[in-house]
Amino acid sequence: MANSIPLAQPIGIRAAHRTAWEMTAIRWYIWCCMLSVVFSVAGIEWDISWHKSIGRDSFWTPAHMMVYLSGALAGIACAYLILSTTFQKGSPLRDVSVSMWGFRGPLGAFICAWGGVAMIASAPFDNWWHSAYGLDVKILSPPHVLLALGMTGIRFGMLVLVLAEMNRAEGLYRAKLERMMFFAVVFVMWMTVGIVQEDTNRVFMHGSTFYMIVMFAAPIVVAMVARVSDNPWAATITTALFTAVHLALVWILPLFPAQPKLGPVYQHVTHLVPPDFPLLLIVPAVVFDLARRRIGTWGRWKQATALGAAFFGSFIAVQWPFANFLMSPASRNRIFATTNYPYAIPPTSPWVRNVFVPTEHNFGEFWVRMAIALAAAILMTRIGMAWGEWMRRIRR
Amino acid sequence: MKMAFRARPLALTIFLLVAAQALVAHVGSPDVYYEGDAGPYHLFVTVRMPQVIPGVAEIQVRCESDGVRTIQVVPLRLTGPGSNLPPTPDLAQTSKDDPQFFTSSLWLMESGALQVRIMADGAKGKGELSVPVASFAQRTLPMQKPLAALLFCLMLLLTVGAISIVSAGAREGTLEPGETPESTNVRRSRVAMAVAIVMVLGLLYVGRSWWEIEETGYQQRVNFYKPPRAETTLEKGDRLVIRAKAEDPRWSQRINMGRVIPDHNHLMHLFLIARPAMDRMWHLHPEPVEGGAFADDLPSMPAGQYEVFADVVDERGFPWTLLGTTELPQINGKPIAGDDSSWVGAPLETQQASHTSQLPDGARMVWERGSGPLTSNVAMDFRFSVQDKDGKPAQDLEPYMGMAGHAEFVRSDFSVFAHVHPSGSVPMASLKLAQAGLMSDAPLMPAGMAMAASTQSGSLPAVISFPYGFPQAGEYRIFVQVKRAGQVETGVFDAHVE
Repeated sequence: MANSIPLAQPIGIRAAHRTAWEMTAIRWYIWCCMLSVVFSVAGIEWDISWHKSIGRDSFWTPAHMMVYLSGALAGIACAYLILSTTFQKGSPLRDVSVSMWGFRGPLGAFICAWGGVAMIASAPFDNWWHSAYGLDVKILSPPHVLLALGMTGIRFGMLVLVLAEMNRAEGLYRAKLERMMFFAVVFVMWMTVGIVQEDTNRVFMHGSTFYMIVMFAAPIVVAMVARVSDNPWAATITTALFTAVHLALVWILPLFPAQPKLGPVYQHVTHLVPPDFPLLLIVPAVVFDLARRRIGTWGRWKQATALGAAFFGSFIAVQWPFANFLMSPASRNRIFATTNYPYAIPPTSPWVRNVFVPTEHNFGEFWVRMAIALAAAILMTRIGMAWGEWMRRIRR
Repeated sequence: MKMAFRARPLALTIFLLVAAQALVAHVGSPDVYYEGDAGPYHLFVTVRMPQVIPGVAEIQVRCESDGVRTIQVVPLRLTGPGSNLPPTPDLAQTSKDDPQFFTSSLWLMESGALQVRIMADGAKGKGELSVPVASFAQRTLPMQKPLAALLFCLMLLLTVGAISIVSAGAREGTLEPGETPESTNVRRSRVAMAVAIVMVLGLLYVGRSWWEIEETGYQQRVNFYKPPRAETTLEKGDRLVIRAKAEDPRWSQRINMGRVIPDHNHLMHLFLIARPAMDRMWHLHPEPVEGGAFADDLPSMPAGQYEVFADVVDERGFPWTLLGTTELPQINGKPIAGDDSSWVGAPLETQQASHTSQLPDGARMVWERGSGPLTSNVAMDFRFSVQDKDGKPAQDLEPYMGMAGHAEFVRSDFSVFAHVHPSGSVPMASLKLAQAGLMSDAPLMPAGMAMAASTQSGSLPAVISFPYGFPQAGEYRIFVQVKRAGQVETGVFDAHVE
């Protein structure tokens, strides 16, 4: 009987409700771009896990297809959006679009379309690369970088697309868009923090290089989202979502069976090997949000110095001892998944032996690099703040 | 001649034919042919090696015994770490037309000495064998013009697009709805565009430099596995000294010529073939001397120019053929003895095929090849029968260096040289290493060695077969060497391959 109430409502009220719902509904092109980004993250993580567990692939693996589908979806959706904005009379987006080559469309749509074309262009390039120089044995190659640039374009384009709408919106619609924005930033964070996962293995966590890399990759995104959003917990929410998605991969991927198809097989692998347990970025993000409330009136460089130092210090304070835990037998379970080694890792590897790998030659070098890491945290925080302020002004 | 394998699909055959034109490494014959027993099953295996490494090898297995139900194949290193840690094997596909014929594709991820392990299962139980393969990149594929044009257009689109997006974003990105850009916006846009141009051009420059570095690195890997040059010097009038000199200086650091392993009793098999007519051939066995060189006191031989092919197998089981050309004066040397052998006869005849070769004392060797044309890239059993002066099967064949026979396939321009045994084109030294890793308790005998074993109580069979396939079209000379009553005899056949 519950649905008899709306039916009894006057047509005018129902129409008003529908109009209100339509006005606050997330636009189709944002959903398309979000789906495209999800495909690209899932496809890449699936592909990395495939290489760790099965080893062998071809151009036509499901993971590769998912990645290229992501590019095609973003490219086609944004091309349609640009064409409809350009040629459709009375398009509501015309006044909130930018012009390029005689076309009109939201700035984010152009960026997404560029990303889609770059991803699709990387496919024949990568295929030729394999036939000319052999199939991939490493992640970084020119066609893969073109693919990564395309994925970055789609993720950044989606963020711009969402932010332009969010910055113009108010009330419920703005709140909905802000939630979408948090997810968009999570996927941007995947491009900075996620891309260095080979260098953030637990064996490096007691070395200064690890902290340098993390400080170059993480504070910029945290500072950006804190500037873009009015939410006082913006950095915490974004980092929590990032950690949650990462944990989902850690726990879900091992549910799928897999066997190595390349040798030598040093590790007994029976399932898809997941990524390592996520970094404890959530703690410095909370510290960041707490600190910025107290220093909101300071100058930008002073804020960046305080926030960068707080992020760096709190990250060391939790990650350093947590690294000891990850090396201990207590972490060897499904939750922390520290026994999920790729098939090709020899038993003599420090990773398998659970020993730290020093990345500097002496104590002096360690402290110099730690100082560089602190400077990086401050500088990247400042850049993130400037980036966020620009993003906050985007209207189109 | 028995056609052991049918032709592969036309497109693939054409591709291999075209690709083979560019092959120079390992003297132009990279594919591997092997005939041997996997437990109770007699198998003929062909491994079509990939052009690039990592790459995909095509495996063909013909079962010459009944009852085989499944064939599984798996690649692994020949020696050292990883040689006993195979991945999950692949199940080979059974041919729809021929249930005795199986095919599979295998990834070869590394350059160097590898093996393809083959596991057969059927009515007579299980059996396995291992085929050593020399894995190396043979070439760099040039980009086809249509693809290059497509990628160039895409690069232009992406480059100009990125600059235009930055410009549009700086000009209009922060304008309120309906607002038109002012001169300050336009100025900002131009500055942003200039910065974007510099950044994009910088990115393109870095990308191009990176590509060149990758290209150079890959080409170095290709060059590393090219046959080393055989540098020869003549000392004391008849002592030929051979040193390996590779194009890549890292070769001599990694390959220790002082630690090569014996390949059917000898560390080096040296073939001197008269240029250009191939009307004289010596098969000698130099011994190692100081500094990683090899030397041999030459037998008597006339002055002339000779092509040098020197086969060795390094300690990891990887076969190398040293290549060179040498100009020798008249040599008045030692008589031929031991396993050394020589042949002098008619020059190579182009566009002609010979079926019979005269041997000393009126005997002859006959190539049972049928009347059909010879085709490149088709695996075949090359069968030769030895007949005595009365035309009857010879009863005095003995093992020659442990084998029923040796055959050398040489293309008229010397771009192809293959030293083949009844077990196939794999070196026996590598084969020993491969078989050492098999699970089977019983020692496995490849074809030819088994036949050699049978001579403990009598003569070898008068028919010898060699599994092999010509890698490309052209004129070939085949030297078939057997031992009869203590003497090494050589039958010579010419072949026109289409």
